[in-house]
Amino acid sequence: MLPAENGGSDATQDALNSAPLTGTFCREFLLTNQNPDGGWGYHPTSPSGVEATAWALLGLMSGGRVWLPSQPCDRACDWLLHAQLGDGAWPAFPGQPQGCWTTSLASWALQAHGGSVQAVERGLHWVLNAWPAEGTLWWRLRQAVGRSAVVRQDSSLRGWSWTPGTASWVEPTAYALLLLRNLPAEMLTSQMKKRRRLAERMLYNRMCPSGGWNSGNPLVYGVAGVPRVGPTSWALLALIDHAERAENRISLDWLEQTFGEIRGAASLALAHRCLTAYGRQAPPLAPMLGSLYARNRFFENTLAVAWAALALSVNENRSSETSSGALTS
Amino acid sequence: MSFATRSLMLPFARPASRVAILRARSYDGDISKLLWEALREFDLPVQGKKVLLKPNFVEPDAEGVINTHPAVVGAARECFLRLGAASVLVAEGPGHERDTEAIVETIRLRDYLGPLNNLLVDLNLDEVHPVTLPTRASKLQRLYLPKTVLEADFVVSLPKLKTHHWVGATLSLKNMFGIVPGCCYGWPKNILHWAGITPSILDINSAVRPDFALVDGIVGMEGNGPIQGSPKASGVLILGDDPVAVDATAARVMDLDPERIEYLVKAGALLGHVKTDKIRQLGESIASVRTPFAMLPAFRKLQIRNPRP
Repeated sequence: MLPAENGGSDATQDALNSAPLTGTFCREFLLTNQNPDGGWGYHPTSPSGVEATAWALLGLMSGGRVWLPSQPCDRACDWLLHAQLGDGAWPAFPGQPQGCWTTSLASWALQAHGGSVQAVERGLHWVLNAWPAEGTLWWRLRQAVGRSAVVRQDSSLRGWSWTPGTASWVEPTAYALLLLRNLPAEMLTSQMKKRRRLAERMLYNRMCPSGGWNSGNPLVYGVAGVPRVGPTSWALLALIDHAERAENRISLDWLEQTFGEIRGAASLALAHRCLTAYGRQAPPLAPMLGSLYARNRFFENTLAVAWAALALSVNENRSSETSSGALTS
Repeated sequence: MSFATRSLMLPFARPASRVAILRARSYDGDISKLLWEALREFDLPVQGKKVLLKPNFVEPDAEGVINTHPAVVGAARECFLRLGAASVLVAEGPGHERDTEAIVETIRLRDYLGPLNNLLVDLNLDEVHPVTLPTRASKLQRLYLPKTVLEADFVVSLPKLKTHHWVGATLSLKNMFGIVPGCCYGWPKNILHWAGITPSILDINSAVRPDFALVDGIVGMEGNGPIQGSPKASGVLILGDDPVAVDATAARVMDLDPERIEYLVKAGALLGHVKTDKIRQLGESIASVRTPFAMLPAFRKLQIRNPRP
């Protein structure tokens, strides 16, 4: 089959037909698509989920307090509070019995919004006691007889898993670290600081040999893993307090070199935010996002829109009073 | 009724499966025409039905080696519409990459399918419903699965012909890992690895049984697949109404013995046929298209040329 002649327009044409995207546009999108229950789904009209709601709330707050409409944010906070489980965790969706990585995001969003101190503390307590499954005796036995020669990683360095009973991965570890980083200093206990240091070491251990991170293992069968934009951006944002480290620098170099090849709005927004957070130069984001929006409307993905709002807000509203996190600080 | 929509049956009670092997030397040829002629032979019950194509989209790869080629996806969509399907969606939940848009734009899917907004479903972000797994091969017992998949009338698994560094080969059954939603289980869907890849393959394919499989083997991947291997031009499309039989045939084309691949052996007891005497071969013979794939040392024991361990 040959490509359809009229199937899709060229990127250049899309760019010509599109206007630069603004943070205000993204926030209006989020406001328009808030569900009646106060949460957000991954797409407009989808059932509300914890991750989408947390990011939408952070995205809305990126506009600063002058812009911030309090009622939608308050409703979002209420939705999150109702979705919290008895043990302090948040599931992916209400009705699911088990907490997961979304706990870091929900705690972070509530913390950024202010208030809900008790809910944040309960979420934080769950996060700090959520240990990934590797490093246990069972895991070490498996490693000893199986994959230890195949996968290179130090399993004594543990971060956070996506779901309970599974291994540490880059992104959930980064989310938890970003939550800890955004807590007021007085909330940070020595246990939290210790856990944070361990997770940071885990992230550095999982870095691809040539810099950057992926969603898998950095080295399998002796072959170096290929870094990906999303995990690299999250890891770098989580490790921003170590900006001077060589690992950060080579990973940023990789991200900078890769930036022009990014074809998705979510990755583009994340990478741009990451580069600017480190003071690196990046091409103007608004026209690039405008072009992508003209093509696919971001597939109406709430996360992509929220991340775009966060990234765009840096240039539009440097004096933001909100504390929507390390993504903007 | 297609083979796969039948309930779980022991092998002796099942009818023979049909698998066709088509020669297709490149993605520039008329794949639609080739596929149309083959699909007509299967008399598939798709008239007025909601068809879901599940390709294997893993990572942004402009080289066309990791992911199911969009030309094959586009041709399949065209053919199922021509067979009378009411709708044909393309749905995937990539296992590693959260940014599905980045994948489909990198591989230029829109060039073959047109605008994607109402055509592509990101299964990682779909609405989910709990499903009790009919087989208890793993400890999972229950999974949240995407509404779009559960509501489809006819599911087509559209994998790439690739080696896999944990299970030997990844074909239409392993491809169904992509229906497990990242929004519940993360990127990667690590819960499936902890539950065991082989039992998870069985559980997922018993819960959502693909009705048809079409393997893109025009250019496959050998060696350290499914991401870091080398391109392998095999020049074939392998399709049929029993995904287990399709995978067994695809393995034989790769010069792998499907009866040495653990998940295929177990799938052969529950879900479909692995043995050649239960597979009615259409189109080219396996021998005429056999293209031995290079394997990692750990999986050379799967190769037909090597004696059974």
